[in-house]
Amino acid sequence: MAGWRMPRVLAVMMLGAATHSWSGQAHAQEPPTDNCLSCHSVLDDERLSAPAKAFPADIHAVRGLGCSACHGGDPAAGFDGMDPAKGFLGRPGRRRSVDLCGRCHSDAAFMRQYNPSLRVDQVAEYVTSVHGRRLVELGDTAVAVCTNCHPAHAITPPTDPASSVNPLNVANTCGTCHSQADYMQPYGLATDQQEKYLRSVHWEAMSVRRDLSAPTCNDCHGNHGAAPPGISWVGNVCGQCHSVMADYFAQSRHASTFAMLGVPGCATCHNNHEIQWAGDTLLGLGEGAVCGRCHAAGDGGGETARAMRTLVDSLRTAFDSAHAKLLKAERAGMEVSQPLFELGGANNALITARASVHSFEVLNVKEPVDEGLAITATAQSRGEEALGELRFRRAGLVISVTIILALILGLLLKIRDIERAKSTT
Amino acid sequence: MVENRPAPETSRRRFIDWLLSRTLTTWLLSTSVGGLLLAILYPAGRYLVPPQAVESTSASVTVPFTPEDLEPNTGEIFRFGSRAGILVRTPTGELRAFSAACTHLGCIVQYRPDVGHIWCACHNGHFDLNGRNIQGPPPAPLETYAVNVRGDQIVVSKGS
Repeated sequence: MAGWRMPRVLAVMMLGAATHSWSGQAHAQEPPTDNCLSCHSVLDDERLSAPAKAFPADIHAVRGLGCSACHGGDPAAGFDGMDPAKGFLGRPGRRRSVDLCGRCHSDAAFMRQYNPSLRVDQVAEYVTSVHGRRLVELGDTAVAVCTNCHPAHAITPPTDPASSVNPLNVANTCGTCHSQADYMQPYGLATDQQEKYLRSVHWEAMSVRRDLSAPTCNDCHGNHGAAPPGISWVGNVCGQCHSVMADYFAQSRHASTFAMLGVPGCATCHNNHEIQWAGDTLLGLGEGAVCGRCHAAGDGGGETARAMRTLVDSLRTAFDSAHAKLLKAERAGMEVSQPLFELGGANNALITARASVHSFEVLNVKEPVDEGLAITATAQSRGEEALGELRFRRAGLVISVTIILALILGLLLKIRDIERAKSTT
Repeated sequence: MVENRPAPETSRRRFIDWLLSRTLTTWLLSTSVGGLLLAILYPAGRYLVPPQAVESTSASVTVPFTPEDLEPNTGEIFRFGSRAGILVRTPTGELRAFSAACTHLGCIVQYRPDVGHIWCACHNGHFDLNGRNIQGPPPAPLETYAVNVRGDQIVVSKGS
């Protein structure tokens, strides 16, 4: 039985050719058989079979595109289909792959057939990115090209949770290269960005609270035009979401001072990749406060920081106290919905005061704090009134229950006396 | 002497009757007194130590303004229990209601006639007239309420 075995590839090619020949005569109107997949999916060499096995789930295959759309050649032919004379490209090099993707993805008329809203400036943006510039200008093929982020033969849209460019997976996709110390070593880049980002409030918002609009790498660095945000426009990047704080900061004295010192706006106090929840402790000169890194007690900035912190603390404490009192009264069944509703205004004032801290002007913080304190004072008073009323009602209840119990006890004793008197007579 | 003693069966029946009557009396007495005490003390106890329910249970509210009070392209804040709601009359005249608590940090939102959106001033969050978060930091849409107009009354309800 150890006879000659036809190589599997040859058998498949012959079968494919025969199938094509027959189908060409019998079903001239049907699309030709894709012999690329027929052969490659059963090859023993994993390097050649893996792309064919993965490709049917790729968005390009789903939309009806075949191997030849990128690799050229004639998928209906057998081995002849892989003739360079028929336009077969083989495996495109990394430099060429960008132009290859751009051939369709930069063609608005072509892309409109598949997705009219899809942008067609990816390649144009890419050549302005750090990756693209190194590739085009320096011939550095180690930089990311299209297929590093969109794995060839397994490309799915960003909305697919399994996609490498789904918001939840972007940090991991970028980290594939940017977390590798030996890979980044020639570029002199740090490799702790992903690790830091995974400790940030942005990742917490995305991964725990499932807020997919929270920023990941590409939201600050761009995706196809990826580059580090310049020092002068970091505020613009953060300001895409945090616009109120960015506006306050842009008009503050810190904006020009930071620019003069050559340090970034937001990131100087809030960090860049490892951004933490910005609590009130960041403000002032105490432990954990960032103002103390440059300012000290006694200097103008230090005193401003301390004053702003005192104001914010006063409103927060007043709000918490009033809120706790009203909730306690509400839990006890007292009608306090109106003051609780009005206390919402103090929450607005507190949040506004925290935002206005970025103007670094005490007056801008004092205004909402004063407004909030007036609301909390009313709410506190209403809460105390409700709790006072509750105490009065409880005292009344205790007294009435005591009287009722005493009455019952007295009745029982009386009944017993009557029964005893009866039994002795 | 032996003849004067009651028959064993009669004696046993009397004893059982006595026992039953005593037990029944005791049971009735103790149950009634226990029940009475429970009926007094349980509600008093629940009043003194209330359950940890904070959420308002009100499912609908009649807002304190009439349909004519709201011009197209305007919005009004109203009280829904202890929380704030916003009632919007769209530029096309439709009434829509949402929770007025911004899904970012809970600020009270407002209607911006100039942009035709619901807007949160605290961090510049925008919501469209379906309550969807469309710009700024709000991570989720506003809760949508059902609006029913009954004559001059506008009734806003949770759920639809």
